[in-house]
Amino acid sequence: MDEKILLKDNIGKLYSELEKEYKFYAPTKVKGNIAFSRISNVEEIELEFLNSKVPPKDVLFPQKETIFEYKYEGKDVIIEERKDLEDKLLIFGVRPCDAYSFKLLEDFFAFGDFQDEVFLKKRESSTIIGIGCNNPRQSCFCTSVGGHPFQKESTDVFLSDLGDKYLVEAVSEKGKNLVKKLSWLSDAKKADIDKSKELAKQAEDSFTTKFNFDLVTKVLDENFEHPVWQEISESCIGCSSCTFLCPTCTCFDVIDENDEYNNRGRRIRIWDTCQSCLYTLETSGHNPRPEKIQRCRNRIMHKFSYYPSNYDCVGCVGCGRCISACPVNNELRLIIDKILEIEEKEKGEKISA
Amino acid sequence: MVIIVGLETENKDIENNMQEIAKGLLKEKKVDVIIGYKKGTLPLLSQPIIIDKEEDVDKLLWNNLCYVNLAKYLVPRVPRFVDSEKGNLKVGVVAKGCVGRGLIHLASENKINLDEITIIGIPCNGVVNRQRVEMEIGEKEILEVSVLGNNVIVKGKDFEKEFPFDEYMNELCKGCKIRKPSLVSKFPDLCVGECEEYSNIVDEFDDIAEFESKTPEEKWEYITEALSVCTRCYACREACPMCYCNLCFVDQNKPVWFGKTTDLPDIIVYHLIRAMHMAGRCVACGACSLVCPMGIDLNFINRKLEKIVKERFDFTSGLDPDTLPPMVDFKMEDAEEFMLEED
Amino acid sequence: MTEPIVETKQSESKEWEPKIIAFLCNWCSYAGADLAGVSRIQYPPNIRIVRVPCSGRINAYFIIKSLTDGWDGVVISGCHPGDCHYISGNLVARRRFAILKELLEFFGIEPGRVNFMWASAAEGERFAVLIRKATEIVKKLGPNKKFEKKW
Repeated sequence: MDEKILLKDNIGKLYSELEKEYKFYAPTKVKGNIAFSRISNVEEIELEFLNSKVPPKDVLFPQKETIFEYKYEGKDVIIEERKDLEDKLLIFGVRPCDAYSFKLLEDFFAFGDFQDEVFLKKRESSTIIGIGCNNPRQSCFCTSVGGHPFQKESTDVFLSDLGDKYLVEAVSEKGKNLVKKLSWLSDAKKADIDKSKELAKQAEDSFTTKFNFDLVTKVLDENFEHPVWQEISESCIGCSSCTFLCPTCTCFDVIDENDEYNNRGRRIRIWDTCQSCLYTLETSGHNPRPEKIQRCRNRIMHKFSYYPSNYDCVGCVGCGRCISACPVNNELRLIIDKILEIEEKEKGEKISA
Repeated sequence: MVIIVGLETENKDIENNMQEIAKGLLKEKKVDVIIGYKKGTLPLLSQPIIIDKEEDVDKLLWNNLCYVNLAKYLVPRVPRFVDSEKGNLKVGVVAKGCVGRGLIHLASENKINLDEITIIGIPCNGVVNRQRVEMEIGEKEILEVSVLGNNVIVKGKDFEKEFPFDEYMNELCKGCKIRKPSLVSKFPDLCVGECEEYSNIVDEFDDIAEFESKTPEEKWEYITEALSVCTRCYACREACPMCYCNLCFVDQNKPVWFGKTTDLPDIIVYHLIRAMHMAGRCVACGACSLVCPMGIDLNFINRKLEKIVKERFDFTSGLDPDTLPPMVDFKMEDAEEFMLEED
Repeated sequence: MTEPIVETKQSESKEWEPKIIAFLCNWCSYAGADLAGVSRIQYPPNIRIVRVPCSGRINAYFIIKSLTDGWDGVVISGCHPGDCHYISGNLVARRRFAILKELLEFFGIEPGRVNFMWASAAEGERFAVLIRKATEIVKKLGPNKKFEKKW
């Protein structure tokens, strides 16, 4: 049997072995919130958590990131590319929804003629250790976007929480090599594997939120100018919490910072949000999206209509962070319901999602 | 310390009175639409709701989870409050004290016409500090929130916890002296419901006196630690009814004044300058803290702002639309003890 | 563009000398500084002067940006209340200074980095005395490290 067992007591051993080779990122408690940070000792790891406040995309695509630095030497300008992009990273404790978001991020950054090296190199050097969700939240809906609380596909190594131990399954080549290195892991028994399957089924059955996103995409494509958007965007205050906590949001702004006194500078990128009224403001002063309704609509269209057209999948992983974050409770489930009501009214029948 | 007797009975009374008044206003066509709060889909949240029919009045609710400052929806006016033929509609706003303050202060800045507003005053008994409750429950999902006696009961799949309300109230609510909107003598029809005439607000500001006695190093340590998790999402700015600038200072690029990154100096400067812009304008509603996705408590900065303007200029924002806010006014006798002088 | 803090390049002096930026109102304080110069009154060379039409022109952005750019101290000087060339510019400014000073202190930035003063066109000696005082205060506080951006 290929599956192994990792006792929770041995996490320290796992950490001390792996941190020699990898930069080890794990869920930690930062001012009351769970965040994925680089840890320096094993006590910092929080194993009991639902999900992090800021998604683990923060590790590979941080809020502020240097693209390159430059310095002047006489009349020459020397550009210093980043040297740490090939450092090996290990992200421990990623939920299946967030692991799937890495795939969506990869698709985005590799799309078209320009390959975003800064992200893609880091992604290639990173190893993802995922953990299955025994207790999905009421606001989670990964099963509606083709995901599953115990989905292994986007991880390298997958752990199932069996109480005092984890069932360890290698998923990718990278994962297989990693598990081979951890030769001290004991073999799993059939009972462990059965328990993991049982937990997976329990988790799957516990979902209360389910959507038919194919139908949602179809309705969105046909109703860009529908008056329902007025109702949907009414209470939105444009705070952009939803975009800042979304695992698939990728928009960024590029800024040059100059340090003339030291003859150097750097180009950085910081997260941007389509909910800001400056997002589409052009130099001429014209703004294609001056109204809140247009910005609110853009986010929904982007995730559930443009993404399927461009990438053949829904641009949402069902993590539910935007639902918990919205301060006016203008949450995604209500928005989707209102959109599906358009179809209901047209067909004259109730849509069961 | 405020003593709250029978929180749920109080809430029910407030809710019933508010619904009665709202119904009356719609029936007599004194207002075209009413904006208030309705039950949220998540246990610790409520939603804003706009109604224009008498039958919908039952949806209006008051519980201690009504965080959003509804004055935000007036500046700029949301499309539902504007009719293509009639122009600005007459809006009724379900207002706790700080929402009323917000509306009156916006009127003093000429952003709202008080003729077009009716304030449905309610005697607010405070809101729950949502972030603090969530952090104390930790990594367990909250499924139900209810009120029993003076406690807030929070339930999950396999846990139940009681929080004494007067301790787990929002920090600003603990020191609140203006629980009902202010009566404005120039506009006798402005306020219906529970409103109050405020002659002189007395506030000791004990809560920040202790903070002020620390050394500069300790203060810097505390502030940088509290603000270090800021992700610069600007939710605080968007939720604040007083932040209505077309171009925020931090977005200016001719010239670029301050950085937009999450480097600590950039974060501190953003909050410092925003606080400066709020001096004499902040109505202490706490919306900025309550919408922060990272749970930063900005309330102590707001309290300091209130203290500065009260002590130096004897001003409390949002009580009278005709009083000039302190930063657009000046007096020969203003205190200048902070100026550098010869020995 | 934001300009991160840099270490002050010392040439020959062995001791660290603060760099202070001074915003002087054109009609009173700038003339006062000029008078100090003409009268050969010595005052510390640490200040770099920026002339503005009135102290009321001073925005909090100028002061805070000076601190983030690496200046160790900021001095703002205007006409005495009642003597403003534009009647009430300095009175408006005085309220702004009060708020800013209190907030800076609240945030833990050393009071003493930012100083406000009144100096009229005839007060060359007073100008020099106050600049000397401000320089000493800033020198005691040491270099401005709080706004340093580490790359």
